[in-house]
Amino acid sequence: MSDGPLIVQSDKTLLLDIDHVLSDECRRAIASFAELEKSPEHIHTYRLTPLGLWNSRAAGHDAEQVIDVLLKYSRYAVPHSLLVDIAETMSRYGRLRLEAHPVHGLILVSNDPAVLKEVTRGKKVAPMLGSQLDDETIVVHPGQRGFLKQALLKLGWPAEDFAGYVDGEHHEISLKQDGWQIRKYQELAAEGFWHGGSGVVVLPCGAGKTIVGVAAMAHAKATTLILVTNTVAARQWREELIKRTDLNPDDIGEYSGAKKEIRPVTIATYQVMTTRKKGVYAHLDLFDAIDWGLIIYDEVHLLPAPIFRFTADIQSRRRLGLTATLVREDGMEGEVFSLIGPKRFDVPWKEIEAQGYIAPADCVEVRITLTDAERLNYATAEQEDRYRFCATSQTKKDVAIALAKQHANDQVLVIGQYLEQLDQLSVDLGVPVIKGETPIKERERLFAMFRSGEIKCLVVSKVANFSIDLPEATIAIQVSGTFGSRQEEAQRLGRILRPKADGRGARFYSLVARDTIDQDFAQNRQRFLAEQGYAYRIIDADEILNKN
Amino acid sequence: MSKLAITFADELRSRSDQDLAALFKYRPDLVTPVPNDFTSLAARATSTPSLVRALDSLNQWHYQIIEAACVLPEPFKKSELLSITSEESAFALDYLWQMGLLYKEGNNYRTPINLKLLIGDEPVGLGPESAGKVNLNILKDVPKPSMEVLSKLIWGPPRGQISNIKKLGTAIGWLLDNNVLIALDSNTVALPREYAINLRGNKVHKELYIKPNLLSGKKLTQKQIDLAAVANISTILRWCEEFLHNLSDETPTALRTGGIGVRDMKRIAEHLGVEESCAGFIAELCYLSGLVVIDPDDQVLPTSAFDIWLSKPQEERWYSLVVLWLDTSRVSGLIGRTSDKNIAPLGPELDRAGASLIKRTTLKILLENPQTTPELESISEIVKWWNPQRFNAEFVEWNLREAEWLGITGQGAISEFGKNLLTAQDDLGIEKALPKPVDHILIQADNSAVAPGPLTPELSAEMGTIADIESRGGATVYRFSEASIRRGLDHGKTGDQIKTFLTKISKTPMPQPLAYLIADVAKRHGRLRIGSTQTYIRCEDEGLIQQIMHDKKCEHLRLRRIAPQVLVADFELDEIIGELREFGYLPAAENSSGVLLSQPNLRRAKSRPKPPRIVSEFLAPKENIIYSAVKTIRAGERSRKVEPIVPGTSSNETLALLNQFIETQQTLVISYADNNGGVSNRIIEPISISLGSLTARDETTGEITQFRIPRINGVAPTVTISENKADLDL
Repeated sequence: MSDGPLIVQSDKTLLLDIDHVLSDECRRAIASFAELEKSPEHIHTYRLTPLGLWNSRAAGHDAEQVIDVLLKYSRYAVPHSLLVDIAETMSRYGRLRLEAHPVHGLILVSNDPAVLKEVTRGKKVAPMLGSQLDDETIVVHPGQRGFLKQALLKLGWPAEDFAGYVDGEHHEISLKQDGWQIRKYQELAAEGFWHGGSGVVVLPCGAGKTIVGVAAMAHAKATTLILVTNTVAARQWREELIKRTDLNPDDIGEYSGAKKEIRPVTIATYQVMTTRKKGVYAHLDLFDAIDWGLIIYDEVHLLPAPIFRFTADIQSRRRLGLTATLVREDGMEGEVFSLIGPKRFDVPWKEIEAQGYIAPADCVEVRITLTDAERLNYATAEQEDRYRFCATSQTKKDVAIALAKQHANDQVLVIGQYLEQLDQLSVDLGVPVIKGETPIKERERLFAMFRSGEIKCLVVSKVANFSIDLPEATIAIQVSGTFGSRQEEAQRLGRILRPKADGRGARFYSLVARDTIDQDFAQNRQRFLAEQGYAYRIIDADEILNKN
Repeated sequence: MSKLAITFADELRSRSDQDLAALFKYRPDLVTPVPNDFTSLAARATSTPSLVRALDSLNQWHYQIIEAACVLPEPFKKSELLSITSEESAFALDYLWQMGLLYKEGNNYRTPINLKLLIGDEPVGLGPESAGKVNLNILKDVPKPSMEVLSKLIWGPPRGQISNIKKLGTAIGWLLDNNVLIALDSNTVALPREYAINLRGNKVHKELYIKPNLLSGKKLTQKQIDLAAVANISTILRWCEEFLHNLSDETPTALRTGGIGVRDMKRIAEHLGVEESCAGFIAELCYLSGLVVIDPDDQVLPTSAFDIWLSKPQEERWYSLVVLWLDTSRVSGLIGRTSDKNIAPLGPELDRAGASLIKRTTLKILLENPQTTPELESISEIVKWWNPQRFNAEFVEWNLREAEWLGITGQGAISEFGKNLLTAQDDLGIEKALPKPVDHILIQADNSAVAPGPLTPELSAEMGTIADIESRGGATVYRFSEASIRRGLDHGKTGDQIKTFLTKISKTPMPQPLAYLIADVAKRHGRLRIGSTQTYIRCEDEGLIQQIMHDKKCEHLRLRRIAPQVLVADFELDEIIGELREFGYLPAAENSSGVLLSQPNLRRAKSRPKPPRIVSEFLAPKENIIYSAVKTIRAGERSRKVEPIVPGTSSNETLALLNQFIETQQTLVISYADNNGGVSNRIIEPISISLGSLTARDETTGEITQFRIPRINGVAPTVTISENKADLDL
């Protein structure tokens, strides 16, 4: 029996002992087919899922390689049934292929007539298919390319898409590397995407996903549509594009609630795309406005459901998804796989941290004991108001203020969910607040002042969760959040992970009211952080209050 | 025959001791219990159950020889038997004789009584013996059309249907005229045995299966096999352990018919992460070893043997499971098949004759073909050759599946451990091959702990009380949570003990959040105290409470002070009040909302009202109810009376009688076999016959019912209704 670093569990999780000499080698080998589930300090957990195995097939690996890796690194004997299951699952990918036929257009091909028969009998699939040309070929109705892929994935027969892409309207874009250098992993990510045709690049917050997008555009050299979460993010993309490429500012358009510009490179927000007028999506024409050569989806894990539907229609255009995590709270990972494409590249958070590209972070949970009066109020509050009540308690505010004062010399972000609480904090701390109603101009002005150090502390609502570049923020104080959202936790932490000029570490405080529902939510979120490998501790609020 | 035929008993008597020993070796049922004399031995050896057992143990080749022996007129010479089978039979004859399936009369052989009955009327598809003189030469002159008819009958079945014996075609006519065919009845002809054997080229069987086929399959290296087998062994041990723990956590209630219900099995299968068929197998395996039992109150629970089993080394644990599996006649493969929905694990319906025989044969073939993963079809054929009478293709498939789950095989081929088991080695080599138990865990900051291998039983029990298992396999992943720590505290541990234990067995330092969690839960644990008591005494004046507590007269009330203003006692309220009054206090009783209960004089029952059920007068039943009741009783009575008198009728008679009764619209009694084979008499009014069924009104139930004609054993007229009318005058 070998003494490998990997233990294969019967629930298809893989435990990797990272203190083992072979752990690094093994990690690289299994990363291609297993999803990293958590990476705390000693044992990392990976999971074998059909999507992961198919992702690996899409990347050109076969079942034999996967099984070899498992046998090679496994500490104990691997159950044979598991290996059979892997081979079986992987063999399902690519048995069906979508191809372009010179006469019939889009066709579904399989060397296995039985599989073809099976899927054509599917109630959802049948209407998308046209006449059968022979045992192995069926015509697909034009325009069903995306929907068909989606339906086939649901049946467990993911189709490999060889139907190719349109080049789109040519537009010269190249990187302008003056005073900065594209990082190795960013380059690899962009190349990985380009060779795959379409797909998703997974990089942690702060690792420079925008640059990957920009590099992909330089590969495509074509008109590009960029979909982002909100207007501020759109402006930041614009700035990045101007800074990193030779694009003329006039070539970049913003398509948002405020402006409706269509240029060779257009940045649109999810919100405007999903706006409906009289029940009709009003801005769908944007997808056809220009013969786009590339479509970039920023923060793909937040992609709203309607956009998936539009995306199904544009399967002949190259699509790049950028995200920090493939975890979707709504479980639509399968849609991302079938419509945007398989995962083309990922690097674990900690690895990039080790390379010094993102700041190390220290997570602290501060347990706050509510006063007796507050506890009584909490206990008698209505079920739906309870979280709001404990999250916005007076005691919590006091602790937040005390913390902010302790870090008076650092760049501090106070993040919260409830506007009333934020307003109160802003008044008490004497610092500006940024929330949904803050005009874009004002937001940009405040962010700029924060970046330059003119303002040391900002109170922000969840508008600042995503895609806002605040490199110098070192301290985040979270007073309340969207219940237990793990994905929000990752984003907020991401705000302070940008590398600091002086190499300082970041600290993420989370204020939690003891013995309340707040603590339950916190447990969920903070388990996520610990699973990501962040140093994590719990302290009592008294420690902070006593210091002052 | 000049000499009186020698009896089987006489022949047995004349056998040597050695031969008798061989007989008992091959047929152990003959000596359990030991028969009194040769006559009873012969009687037992020729009894149907014993003969069936003996025939079941024959392989296909030996069975073919016995078939051939049953074809020959007795007594027959050895050479006769060899000529209709093959020369190789000579080697088998001794064995069959030793088994007592043949016996000698001088140099000739006979078959024991009853054997021919078991082989059947038409052995190897051969017809009856010719009644008249046999003239084999005539076969040379058979005209071509007649030969075509014959060729259909040669290899059986030897009977053919003709439309009418009176209107024959020339082909069959010629054969009947020359006695090459004989008429069995007006529609059936048969080919006599002698002609058929001749036409078969003086052989009995089309093909003789002297040797089993060679096994075909995939070749593997022993290392691959053993690796897979080790994984299987540790998995099955874990499954059993987990299954039994799960029973004690979520105890299912047994079905009324015995066994675990489908829903519980689904849940268990999900819990174990296995298919339902596998879960059924695990349940049966544990049941065989006495690790699980159905308690008298229908709870399915692990037994104390489970705790002993857990403390044993893994090899012993495995052995105790497997050794019983080898011998059991319970077929767990039957569980949960769509065709037999109600077969439940631990239930009474799993026994199948021959299951163990097929299992032994399957394993023997695996053992003889090391490093080979057999193809199912190929191994099935060989098993069939060895046990043609007991062969069941499904059993073979299930045996292979179960052998793999047990780790007797790995990737389908016999493992070193399986080999050692089947050849009865002392050391199975499992202990060496299984991963060594580990005595440490790794605690991580996300409140999980990993035991990177099988934990020693003590540690695993201890960890089980303070953490929940999140994932199993080579390693075990535990998760600490508020609830799991609380469980540990409930088990009587203190927060410090838990901390010390974890610090001691963890190779990694205790993460701060976990230490915080333990301390936090320990601090809050037991803050609310709950007990039970009968009566309380409360008083806002603490001084008075103090006074009562120190009052010597009240000592016998055994009052306890649980708060400055509250005393509790385990006596009834009335008693306490009475006593306290006597001692000069002025107590008053209060109800649950604190309102004073005045009126202590009027005594009231403490129980809640529980009025008796009202039994009203009977109303006169309606006339039609009375009528149908009388009819039912009468019909029951009549059918009871006529029960013995329904004579058996042949199917032709039955049909004729039924038609007659339908015409005359008469009531009649039939003796009818129901679905379960039970025969009962029914009084019916026949209506019509169609498609093999009789439509009639069943007098007992008053419903129109279909009766299948083949199931009607007898028909008889019944006494007319008018005769009984007089009895109706109530």
